Amino acid sequence: MSGLGAALLNSLDIGLLLFVIAVGLNIVFGVLNVINFAHGALYMLGAYLAFTLMNLLGLSFIVALIVAPLAVAVIAVVIDRLVLRFIYERDVADSLLLTFALLLIINESVRMIWGSGIHTVQPPELLRGSVAIFGDTLYPVYSLFVIVVGLVLVAALWFIFNRTRAGKIMRAAALDRDMAEALCINTKLVVTGVFAFGAWLAALGGVVAAPMRAVDPGMGDKIIIESFIVVVIGGLGSFPGALAGALVLGLIHGLGGRYLPEINLLLPFVGMALVLLFKPNGLMGKGANA
Amino acid sequence: MTKFNPRKLITSLAAASLLSAGALQVSADEHPIKLGAIYILSGSAATYGQFAQRGIDLAISEINDSGGVLGRDLELAIEDSQGKAAVAIQAARKLVYEDQVDVLMGLDSSGVAQGLVPTIPELQKPLIITHAATPDVTGKLCNAFTFRISTNVAQNMKAAAQIAAESDAKRWTTIGPDYAFGHQSWEFFGNALKDIKPDVELMGDTAFPRFGAEDFTPFINGVMDSNAEGVLISLWGGDLVNFVRQATNLGFFEKDMELMFTVGAATEVLTALEDRMPEGVWLSTRYWYDAYDNEINRNFVKAYIDAYGNPPSYNAEGAYAAVYAYKKAMEATGNTDGPALAKALKGMSFDAPNGKVTFRAGDHQAMVSPNWGRSGPMHPEHGIRTLEDLRVFDAEKVSRTVAETGCTL
Repeated sequence: MSGLGAALLNSLDIGLLLFVIAVGLNIVFGVLNVINFAHGALYMLGAYLAFTLMNLLGLSFIVALIVAPLAVAVIAVVIDRLVLRFIYERDVADSLLLTFALLLIINESVRMIWGSGIHTVQPPELLRGSVAIFGDTLYPVYSLFVIVVGLVLVAALWFIFNRTRAGKIMRAAALDRDMAEALCINTKLVVTGVFAFGAWLAALGGVVAAPMRAVDPGMGDKIIIESFIVVVIGGLGSFPGALAGALVLGLIHGLGGRYLPEINLLLPFVGMALVLLFKPNGLMGKGANA
Repeated sequence: MTKFNPRKLITSLAAASLLSAGALQVSADEHPIKLGAIYILSGSAATYGQFAQRGIDLAISEINDSGGVLGRDLELAIEDSQGKAAVAIQAARKLVYEDQVDVLMGLDSSGVAQGLVPTIPELQKPLIITHAATPDVTGKLCNAFTFRISTNVAQNMKAAAQIAAESDAKRWTTIGPDYAFGHQSWEFFGNALKDIKPDVELMGDTAFPRFGAEDFTPFINGVMDSNAEGVLISLWGGDLVNFVRQATNLGFFEKDMELMFTVGAATEVLTALEDRMPEGVWLSTRYWYDAYDNEINRNFVKAYIDAYGNPPSYNAEGAYAAVYAYKKAMEATGNTDGPALAKALKGMSFDAPNGKVTFRAGDHQAMVSPNWGRSGPMHPEHGIRTLEDLRVFDAEKVSRTVAETGCTL
């Protein structure tokens, strides 16, 4: 039983980290109608900035957690104003092409600035090591921290979307941009703000991931595929969908890797195929026009 | 093309007369000899391609400074395989047909090698593989143009099995990437170990996480609960870095198990992990910079550290040695003709940092052996773990016979 407990906890920490990243992708699609291929690259930027702040400048993890996502959000504002704003009204496929180009540009820039090497970031002193939770099964303290961060974000995002004016404006802009504009909402500002917020979430995921995952030039490409699977399973453009998709994929990885290692490669895609077969819009998806 | 063409002769004569005086010294043979290289230059494993390129650059600058090859300078054209076979095939064709390279070298991944090698004969240029380790390319997929200068999985696993047989561990399992390299490592290790020590148990529950899986926790927990006594770990690159850190957190290294990392002594990985690579585990590499006491190796290691600040990895050494192998072959044939060079490489011996190396005539596999050692204290200058109880195996003893490879050349 202790093995199962650890596997479930592990599923939760994989899933919640995926949620932090995928929810940004989903919000951006909901409001901007842009599928952001470069979302994983922004996650990678967050991790590299954390590496720079902590390993090269000797600053603390807390500083990295605050500064790196903000810096990436600023970069996102620049990207939005320089290129993205020209394609809001275009077909979704165009956004895929453009953001794929952005992904290549960011990937190569990262390699030019930080080199091709693999880097590691140490967790802060307080979060190192492991604790025994299920009998003698050890569980890393840092993974518990990831779970806490994920849960706090789930609660905060739910609050923002359902209880604050900013959240309602975002949802209004997502539902009907023309109507929102007619109601004196500055949708241009909203759109840029949402893109920056999505980037902030991606980079936050990157900073949180850095102390337990290798910081290398391919980390963004790996996470974007996972995030797309989350979105397909959960449903495009919906906040509960991102949460459901991330938790399902977390379970697939956590339990599949533990109990069905022979077919672990196949499982995420089986999950995706089953969802597409029975709920083509995803578990929580309401339809293509959301 | 041998047909006599009077118009062409006249144009040639006219051109020759125009190019009189000093210009005549620029003969057709003085344009540089081009080496075409294919490595992973982007993504998680980009660091491997970068080390290889540094090895090549170092060899080229040494050779060009001392007069080049056949009086001509060497020049490098390098392409990114992205770790994908289809991309590597495109790159090889571009290098040969567009960039007009004279020879090919490279390849970081077994999957890429299995895809590319069968297409090499159509290009009529020799290829020296400097990293990819699948036994197939000097086995059932072998061909007249393909050579490998680095250790293959079969050689490395035969050496690994000897070390494993000396230990007390009886029940063995594996954690490896879910593609050719991980599966073949386990298969060759298991067969070799069974040969030496028939009473070992090769466990049925093995772990093959996806290449680039990021979170290895489920697999680590699986192995920890399996009561295995020995684990063969063939993860590499960023995967290995992730694995070691996550395994440390889960107390994996505190368990009493014999741990063997088949590519754990890659300096790319040791640099990233620093002292977080645990002490006392078996680490292997195709070449360890401190394992060979000869002049070529001393000069190579010193020049490499002077130029790049860290010790050379096996990938840098393989690429460096391949350039010198081509130099020797070109000097033997006196030209850069592809089929002639392939013939010259067959059975050729040359001096490399890891000693005298021979491309066996029967399968074109270099007679080289892996280096294994136990991770020791940190090196005071290089910032990576040292290797203790260093083992350099006899290539003849760890290589398959030509008949075993399945290669018929």
